[in-house]
Amino acid sequence: MTHFIQTLISGLSLGSIYALIALGYTMVYGIAKMLNFAHGDIIMIGAYAGIIAVAQMGLPPLIAVLLSILICALLGVLIEFLAYKPLRQAPPLSVLITAIGVSYFLQNLALILFGSQQKAYPTIVQLGQVTLGSVTIDGITILTLLVTALIMVVLSFFINRTRMGKAMRAVSEDKAAAALMGISVNRTISITFAIGSALAAVASIFYGMSYIYIKPTTGAMPGIKAFTAAVFGGIGSVPGAMLGGILLGLIEQLSKTYISTLWADAIVFGVLVLVLVVKPTGLLGKTMNEKV
Amino acid sequence: MKQKKIKFSGDLLTFILVAAVYAVVAYLLYGGSLTRQFSNMIIPISVYIVLAVSLNLVVGLLGELSLGHAGFMSVGLFSGCLLSIALVDVLPMAVRLPLSMVVGGLVAALFGLAVGLPALRLKGDYLAIVTLACGEIIKNIITNLDFTGGALGLNTNPIYSNAKKLLPYAVILVLLTVLVMMNLKRSKQGRAIMAIRDNRIAAESVGIDVTRYKLTVFMLAAFFAGAAGVLYGHFFANVKAATFDYNMSIEILVIVVLGGMGSIPGSIIAAIVLTALPEAMREFADYRMLLYAIVLIIVMLATNNPTMKEFFHRISPAELLRRAKKKKAKSLQKEGA
Amino acid sequence: MKKFLCMMMAVLMVAALAACGGEPANNGGNDTPDATTVKIGGIGPLTGAYANYGLSEKNGAELAVKEINEAGGIAGKQVELSYQDSQGKSDSAVNAYGKLMDWGMEVSLGCVLSGENASVVAAARDDDVLLLTPSGSADKCIEGNDKAFRICFYDSYQGAAAAQYIKDNNMVDTVGILYQSDNDYSVGLYNAFVEKCGELGITIAETQTFTSTTNTDFSTQVNALVGSGVKLVFIPLYAEEASTFLTQARGKFADDVYFFGADGLDGILGKVEQDTSIANNVLMLTPFAADNPAENVQSFVKKYQEAYGATPDQFAADAYDAIYVIKAAVEKAGSTSGAALASALTSLTVEGVTGTMTWTADGNTNKPASAILYYDGVGSLFDSQD
Repeated sequence: MTHFIQTLISGLSLGSIYALIALGYTMVYGIAKMLNFAHGDIIMIGAYAGIIAVAQMGLPPLIAVLLSILICALLGVLIEFLAYKPLRQAPPLSVLITAIGVSYFLQNLALILFGSQQKAYPTIVQLGQVTLGSVTIDGITILTLLVTALIMVVLSFFINRTRMGKAMRAVSEDKAAAALMGISVNRTISITFAIGSALAAVASIFYGMSYIYIKPTTGAMPGIKAFTAAVFGGIGSVPGAMLGGILLGLIEQLSKTYISTLWADAIVFGVLVLVLVVKPTGLLGKTMNEKV
Repeated sequence: MKQKKIKFSGDLLTFILVAAVYAVVAYLLYGGSLTRQFSNMIIPISVYIVLAVSLNLVVGLLGELSLGHAGFMSVGLFSGCLLSIALVDVLPMAVRLPLSMVVGGLVAALFGLAVGLPALRLKGDYLAIVTLACGEIIKNIITNLDFTGGALGLNTNPIYSNAKKLLPYAVILVLLTVLVMMNLKRSKQGRAIMAIRDNRIAAESVGIDVTRYKLTVFMLAAFFAGAAGVLYGHFFANVKAATFDYNMSIEILVIVVLGGMGSIPGSIIAAIVLTALPEAMREFADYRMLLYAIVLIIVMLATNNPTMKEFFHRISPAELLRRAKKKKAKSLQKEGA
Repeated sequence: MKKFLCMMMAVLMVAALAACGGEPANNGGNDTPDATTVKIGGIGPLTGAYANYGLSEKNGAELAVKEINEAGGIAGKQVELSYQDSQGKSDSAVNAYGKLMDWGMEVSLGCVLSGENASVVAAARDDDVLLLTPSGSADKCIEGNDKAFRICFYDSYQGAAAAQYIKDNNMVDTVGILYQSDNDYSVGLYNAFVEKCGELGITIAETQTFTSTTNTDFSTQVNALVGSGVKLVFIPLYAEEASTFLTQARGKFADDVYFFGADGLDGILGKVEQDTSIANNVLMLTPFAADNPAENVQSFVKKYQEAYGATPDQFAADAYDAIYVIKAAVEKAGSTSGAALASALTSLTVEGVTGTMTWTADGNTNKPASAILYYDGVGSLFDSQD
């Protein structure tokens, strides 16, 4: 039993990281209707920003965290302005390819700037372990879960209840109509990217604290897993991203522990395929009625 | 063919041009006047052309996003190459290679069918993620099997051939793929597929069998990807399933999108450009892949953004020529008046 | 608009192909050897996920070339080194090989990774060029070409040697294993280790794996290995994955549990430099150790640190040795012909930073390996009596 609970906890810990990344992914997708393939790489840049701020510039952790959030938000807006904004009218796949180009660019830029050797993420906060009976939980796991849940709630509130959130939903529904209603589409999308990238920076902090090592290709795999999680939960849905991420983490750890580490990839993706075949719009995705 | 008048269509022109380019390449290759770097690129470029043209069938013609094309290639490669290795002492290459290409293609087509089934229910990003998942599952399975060489990779040394020996097969495969795609696009079936892409419900309502066509497209695309994989496996002495991951599928997708949806010449040119570009940029050493990324972004912007399109259009040689002619005509007119 | 797009791409295509084309081929670099230089080419991942291995080898090779040139070159000829990026992909590596042949390469350092090396070795079958890979360790990656050799151990030798070492030193009877199931190096060592364990009567109590897509979270593997109660975990991994595993395993295992690996672990201290005690109890069977007190090793480490600001790992050391081996072979053979160099190698003994090497005709090398034990950031020769 202890063993099972321990596995669940490690699944939650992995899943909450996936969820945190998926939140940013799904936010940008939901509003701007584009798959931002470079999201994972923004996480990587955020992590390097944290490393440089703490280890090389000697800034206090809190300032370093804020700095890395600021850098990522600015980077997100800049990328949007240079690479995605000119393609507002282009077919979605062209934007996808541009996003892939941006992802290659960021990876290779990091390779040149920071080198190929992995770097260790600094300790931002010292967290102990919590022991409940025979089960131990790392402090970082609890903190990640709390922060992810908090972000999910705030993000849902922001999108559903605030003026800016309303504007975002309007832009997501119909850009032209939104523009007619006096909403600045460009500004709204820029803000979406700023928030999405800031979330990537938050994810980079927790990724860095959990898994320590950062290298230029660090963002690629979490990026693709978070994309999977976002689709799993129903892309565009904020609670869906959270659910998808956590379930993905749980399935991964459970199959590794109880079936086989050799077949973990096939099992995780197999479950994903099955779920999507049964529920073609993800767990919490909206079903769109097709019209002729 | 009951056509009375031979129409010199764009597609036919493409076919003739591809054949002509291969003829020139073959002449140079066998004449020994190609650089080694260039000769080594011929087979991979041909493979990428087949991959891109066949993926274009799914993405361009059917309008479904697939991120698992490398998985089909991998299945075809391993089944075809295993057969080829088994038959290496029995059959001459002229029989063995085409046979393994067909077998590899057929096995891949079976997997195409399996992946095509969920495609009946899913679309857009959901289908994309399912094809990606299927590609990763295929990779995981092949890596864990023993007879495929597992993680150590399949040792294809016994069937390895160089570019000079493989070129004829590559040419035939490329021309065949182009031919099938061309004919499909203009056939009744092709129009049915495009009708499904443009409006599935409307297509269904006029009696088009959506299920059949969708599955056919997935199988056909997988067949050619598999056959291309077999060719690829003969050119490298060691092949690992890990090579054919979602990153490779994305690379093929980049070729298709860059070349233009549904455009055969576009896919061919883009396949050549994207394979040759990193090679051409070797002089830039460490900055090579960075520049590659920048070129990719700029090309996407230049071909999709109205302002930039206009700018590049204005400075393109054809446009300059046209304007020069116009100017001349104007001045002639003036002189006349 | 399609027309415009096609045209733009066609222009790009012509430009790209023109850059790759150039002058007609110089088939086989040895037809017209340059009178004043020896041209050596290397291939490896300088970008992408494996870039650190390629960059290490490039540094090691460049350092050796610089030293040789300062000391008067090889038989009076200066050495020119061209190192090409492969991104770790076979197709790119084969293209790079072509590029080097066009450049006039006389001797090749093969490739960094086994997979790409196998393909380049096959592509070079008809060329009279020696291929001396510093680090291509998969058993079959130098097969099918009798001019292909290597500096490092081959995988199955290392896996078996590890099991033999455990037995000879009476370390334990029961072991646990963690290996990367989609990595050829790791699987190669694992297979040989398991086979040898069967022969020697060592029990394998727990086997855990991971893949390149699941190489960040090791909690389930750590739990399983801790739960099995083994006193030694065999980790045939590269330093990067090992450092991630060890960081997460920290504090979970008992203090007397050893982590036993092979040359892939080298450079582990550099990976965990934020806290070198993470690598406590790591035992490594290796021909090269940066803290080996031997004079040639220390001089190499010192020069490397001065030049690149980092401690050299086995990749750098292998490439450094490879250049000196080429020097010795060229001087012995008196030419750069691949066949002549290959036969020279089989009768040569070279003292390098990775040990004293001799070669068999199938291209493999023999050299002694010793076990290094890390504790608190210091590596020392392991003595099982301690």
